[in-house]
Amino acid sequence: MSGLTLRSVRKNYGDVPVIKGVDLDIAHGEFVVFVGPSGCGKSTLLRMIAGLEDITSGEVSIGDRVVNEIEPRDRGVAMVFQSYALYPHMSVYDNVGFGLKLAGTPKAVRDAKIRDAAKVLQMEHLLDRRPAQLSGGQRQRVAIGRAIVREPDVFLFDEPLSNLDAALRGDMRMELARLHNDLGATMIYVTHDQIEAMTLADKIVVLDGGVVQQVGSPLELYNNPANLFVAGFIGSPKMNLLELTSRPEGNVSSAELSAGLALNRGALAGTSLTLGLRPHDLRVAPNGPLNGQVRLVERLGNETILRVSLADTTEITAVLPGQDEFAIGQTVAFDFKPSSALVFDENGRRLPSPG
Amino acid sequence: MTDITTSLPDAQPERVRLPPSRGSRKTRMAAWLFVAPAFIAYAAFVLAPLCMSIYYSLLRWDGIGEAQFYGLSNYVTVLTDSDLLQIIGNAFQLVLYFTLIPVLLGLAVAAAIRSHMAGRFGTITRTVLFLPQVIPLVAAGIAWSWMFASTGLVNQTLKAIGLSSWARGWLGDFVWALPAVGIIGAWVLLGLCTMLLVTGITKIDPSLYEAARLDGARPWHEFRYITLPGLRQEIGVCITVTVIAALASFDIVYISTQGGPGITTTVPGLEIYRLAFAHRQVGLASALAIVLMVLVLISIAPVQWFTRDKK
Repeated sequence: MSGLTLRSVRKNYGDVPVIKGVDLDIAHGEFVVFVGPSGCGKSTLLRMIAGLEDITSGEVSIGDRVVNEIEPRDRGVAMVFQSYALYPHMSVYDNVGFGLKLAGTPKAVRDAKIRDAAKVLQMEHLLDRRPAQLSGGQRQRVAIGRAIVREPDVFLFDEPLSNLDAALRGDMRMELARLHNDLGATMIYVTHDQIEAMTLADKIVVLDGGVVQQVGSPLELYNNPANLFVAGFIGSPKMNLLELTSRPEGNVSSAELSAGLALNRGALAGTSLTLGLRPHDLRVAPNGPLNGQVRLVERLGNETILRVSLADTTEITAVLPGQDEFAIGQTVAFDFKPSSALVFDENGRRLPSPG
Repeated sequence: MTDITTSLPDAQPERVRLPPSRGSRKTRMAAWLFVAPAFIAYAAFVLAPLCMSIYYSLLRWDGIGEAQFYGLSNYVTVLTDSDLLQIIGNAFQLVLYFTLIPVLLGLAVAAAIRSHMAGRFGTITRTVLFLPQVIPLVAAGIAWSWMFASTGLVNQTLKAIGLSSWARGWLGDFVWALPAVGIIGAWVLLGLCTMLLVTGITKIDPSLYEAARLDGARPWHEFRYITLPGLRQEIGVCITVTVIAALASFDIVYISTQGGPGITTTVPGLEIYRLAFAHRQVGLASALAIVLMVLVLISIAPVQWFTRDKK
């Protein structure tokens, strides 16, 4: 059982860099989620840890062993694939036991391990079936079972829930969390779904363009995003991002906001800024600085989501508690606590919060 | 009760019913019309000749004069005449070359292309191996008979590497003529098998191989547990096609050896042709043809059974 370290890890496909120098420390027993949009390199990074992709430069260590040149089978990792990758002509029993069989595990030991895993995953009744006879959720269980029996140091999950429907995804998410608690193993999980990331992770690694944007606990990333990308990516609905120019003749909302937030400070004068406001931090206030017309109302029962078009046609989202009535076209104004607003500079870097 | 039923508009139940798409007479007629051209051609060129062959096989007939009913005597001859039995045996020996070599080599090439030669080199390999399929069999037969000749490429190569004692006129040798013919057939069929197997292997989910690598599989295990089961149907097609090519072979043998020396390379296809058109024994030729057809069916049935899709 061990943690994992990445040092200046890079990956190029020909001349195209895909992973541009990643440093990361993962402690033993941590549940780490790599999250980012399609093509950000998260799956590639996972496959490099697994040994399925070569490492162009840098070092990957599992425990205290550098594994760059070590075969996947000897790295002490097990992986659950997006497509499940179950051997189609083998029964569930043989699928789960395949790794043990190849390792020459005695039959009795193998049988006990397979049945234990099946019990943990509540799939004892499926052992005789073939993958084609299973539902998506059941296949997912088998794939996880195949990983469990090998008792790896590190579990790797490559978007394991993305082929499941929403309800099943929720259930499986809870099961994975339970599994992590029970096994106490190190788990690395790749997803593009930030809700999966927020709910499962001890630590989230946000990737974009092959570069780590930020590493931190889910709440750290939510409360203190390091840059615009993380701010926009973490949180649902997405954070409202308003373009501001700290000059007097700026558009109505931004001028008022700048005034309200005391942004027009010497060093920033004349620069473009972005103001980030979480939809949940907006409050209805008749004289609030953000006012516009309601374009869309979504009533979820416990809360109401409004899509509002501001005077300069920027659209913002507000999430209000309760079931207050709003009509499309109605004018509504919001304010917010200055401390909840995030400000980003021209390059998308976070500036100290105003207020 | 009656009020409710009568108050319903008459048309309503009709509207709910699905349009009568299947099973109606008109659509069944249309279906038969679509099938008819293919069926007529099949009946005229396959079923009718087959029935006529069965009928001829019961006759003693020179193909021109009057025919006599001969019962099953032709079949008795086919199954007891030592020459004819040897000829049938030759065909089964050819199966070893026509089927085993292309399927095994094709599997090796397909596995190699998958793991090491993806990209341009793989494409070139595939194209080169498929070329024999494009070359007319007659040309291939002639080219190979030159290569197998006493002064041909094969013997030159053997002499060059110091194996002159092995050199011989391959196609005229009583022991080696049949294997030599087998090699020609294997060369011709290798391309087809490789093509089928390479296409089949690309349909196997690559993550299966990755999962197996993580499970500790070595290349042999990947081949044994993923490639082989994944290619079962393609292997079935290859075996079927090549077994038929061997048992019903004619052209390669006709071009390269004409069945000689003696009858060491004579195959049923060639013998049927000779019996019918040279010896004017149409009845016996037909009986041999029917026996050959039954043998092909018997040989193919287990292959089909083993390689059927088990889900």
